[in-house]
Amino acid sequence: MIEQLVIPAPDAIPLPAPVWLLKGLLLFTFLLHIIPMNLALGGSFTAFITDLFGRKRNSEHHLTLARSFAKMIPIAMAFTITLGVAPLLFLQVLYGQLFYTSSILMAWPWLSVIALIILAYYGFYLYSFRWERLKGARLWVVLLSGVLVAVVGMIFSHNLTLMLTPEKFAALYHSNPSGTHWNFDEPTVVPRYLHFFVASFAITGLFVVIYGLGKIKTNKAYGKWAVKYGAMWFTIATIIQMAVGIWFLLALPRDVMMLFMGQNMLATILLGLGILLPVISMMLLILAAKSEKPRALAVSGISVLALTLIVMVIMRDIVRDGYLAGKFDVFDRVVDPQWGVIAVFAAILVAGLGVVGFMLTKVIQAQLHADRIGA
Amino acid sequence: MNFPVWEVPYIGGGMLIGIIAVFHVFIAHFAVGGGLFLVLTERKAYRENNPTMLEYVKKHSKFFLLLTLVLGAVSGVGIWFTIGLVHPSATSSLIHTFVWGWAIEWVFFFVEISSIIIYVAMWEKMSRKAHLTIGWIYAASGFLTLAVINGIVSFMLTTGSWVETRNFWDGLFNPTYLPSLVARILISVAFAGVYAFLTVTRLKDEHARITVTRYSAIWVLPALILFPLSLWWYYTQIPATAQEIVGGGIEYIQTTATYGIIAAALLFVFVLIGPFWRPRAFTFAQAVVILLVASAAMFSWERVREAVRKPYIIHAYMYSNSMLVSEVESIQEVGLLQKAKWISERELTEANELKIGKELFRAQCASCHTVGGYQDVVPHLVDRTQEDLEIILSELPSFRGFMPPFAGNDQERRALAKWLMTLQPAASKGGTQP
Repeated sequence: MIEQLVIPAPDAIPLPAPVWLLKGLLLFTFLLHIIPMNLALGGSFTAFITDLFGRKRNSEHHLTLARSFAKMIPIAMAFTITLGVAPLLFLQVLYGQLFYTSSILMAWPWLSVIALIILAYYGFYLYSFRWERLKGARLWVVLLSGVLVAVVGMIFSHNLTLMLTPEKFAALYHSNPSGTHWNFDEPTVVPRYLHFFVASFAITGLFVVIYGLGKIKTNKAYGKWAVKYGAMWFTIATIIQMAVGIWFLLALPRDVMMLFMGQNMLATILLGLGILLPVISMMLLILAAKSEKPRALAVSGISVLALTLIVMVIMRDIVRDGYLAGKFDVFDRVVDPQWGVIAVFAAILVAGLGVVGFMLTKVIQAQLHADRIGA
Repeated sequence: MNFPVWEVPYIGGGMLIGIIAVFHVFIAHFAVGGGLFLVLTERKAYRENNPTMLEYVKKHSKFFLLLTLVLGAVSGVGIWFTIGLVHPSATSSLIHTFVWGWAIEWVFFFVEISSIIIYVAMWEKMSRKAHLTIGWIYAASGFLTLAVINGIVSFMLTTGSWVETRNFWDGLFNPTYLPSLVARILISVAFAGVYAFLTVTRLKDEHARITVTRYSAIWVLPALILFPLSLWWYYTQIPATAQEIVGGGIEYIQTTATYGIIAAALLFVFVLIGPFWRPRAFTFAQAVVILLVASAAMFSWERVREAVRKPYIIHAYMYSNSMLVSEVESIQEVGLLQKAKWISERELTEANELKIGKELFRAQCASCHTVGGYQDVVPHLVDRTQEDLEIILSELPSFRGFMPPFAGNDQERRALAKWLMTLQPAASKGGTQP
């Protein structure tokens, strides 16, 4: 008869690295992935609203900012995908038994991600390259692309929560093996998704603040306006995020929730920080928006939020392993590290970052040169 | 067996991978060869002080970005998604063996994406020397991603000494690594020219158009002359069973290979008499025809390369239905129902025989076969009795060449045969039922 809990056996080939290393890379590369992801997702909706406002009120500032968004979003999209590949790789090597199974159960929605990303991506390029020619129609292009990216995020939330509940696998599969399941009956799937969605507006707001700080030198009025505008988005999103965060916490299964309520010291401290740090960050940014010299305040506010992101990524991992407690232990694996290959990877990573750094200095040199000529 | 099998109607999972993979390789090979094309053409334009050629390569780079960065990169992720869905066990084995290979490839990919964005954004905004440097970085990183992924893809057919040593480098630098790499580089270079034809007809200045058209043809022709040599080298390195399959062991694969050779020859002739010989009369329609013929050649080559791996997905290690070579015997002893994870019942009874038969089909056959679609099983049932089917199932590797053995015991084989009999077209019912 059907067993309640069916989880595929671990791969016959041992893990090619210690779990801590793979997990460290999983969390680190995920952190790198969500920054451009937030800019692509939040950026598209913010661009839509900013552009709409600029066109209706004929506001030069809004239109200039929206134009900058249009140039930035395709690049954010490129790095969302590039930096998303790495965590997906490490997720598969550590949690493949769960991840492949949940992906198969929702195979069609999961596969549709590819088509949705391609469509959204071309929409973003259309918004960028056909800015003048599309006129008002460009608003609908960027909004549609934003919605598609938002749907992709929702599919990810479904798959990555479904993989945490292997007790559902067998029954779902035997009811229908065609890969058309979702995970709507998971109580956290909506607040979890919203937690990402709302965060993207906060991160986009901070991006606008950084952008504004850079513009103050050449165009003081516009730069200061952008700092204020970004801080406003950040503040509104962060306040909403508090409510969503509480909803998410309460929706967690009791055992997992209790980890953050004193049962696990690290988890509890992280939750405290996760509430406290954004509040500090928000206050610093409100002060920055009102200040004549916003740089120092804004930079400290952004740094505090960078810490918050790290805290959130670790909390997310604690939730994951908390869900799986008693069913799947990620550390329970045969390990046979390929240290030689790992060393080669490390060397190539350093070299690769060096090359990208070199290219960026070339870009900055060229821009400084152009500024000098312009002045 | 270890993972649930996703039922893909009509086309089957294998074909789904094929569609997405071929789509990806068209663009990925172009991205690799095209990088070299961009930077060399840019350099040529500077050296010859040719502003129209420079204008052309600038426009071509934008087309290149939109094609490779979006369709190329995302469809590459698409292959990953699809193989995880259709062949989770094989994907898992590959990832456990090569996670650091992929991690290395990812670094090159990161550099590749960064450099192409900078290259396209910075035309005339940085010094020519700096811009060429970015172009070279792009070309090199594109080539390096190919150098890594080629090791993993070729490994699946020629696992070589890895099967014994389980050593990463033995797997990566396997017997077909080099011939496959050379073949793919030649394809990349040829594709750079083939895609250049698409944009070159837009050049308004006639003199420049003729120059660049002929120049692009020179990317295609030498690569096509060398390609058969690399293919022959590749052929000498593949396992004997693979040579047998392409030599006629499986008829439709031999046919596909023949079409591939014809398409490659046609491509050579078209490029020779079109853009090379008569660049002035070269049109966009001709460019599209050339792209289609090149795609047909490419499709055949990838299709044959995938098919000659039969009956394995990872040669000599895992069968194409995800059974490990090492576990088949023990499954045949105790029965699949005792070992498989995604079967709804553990006991075979007369009442559930058909239901289990269907689930056995899903577990062992559905990764390649469909009912009524691509690789249809139904035609193979015509004029068979249940007894025939049971005998065929017990001797699959010899009866139906290049299929994995049935991993299950006698009762399970009977249940599968019984369910297969229900699919038999009414008109062709075989002799008397046992």
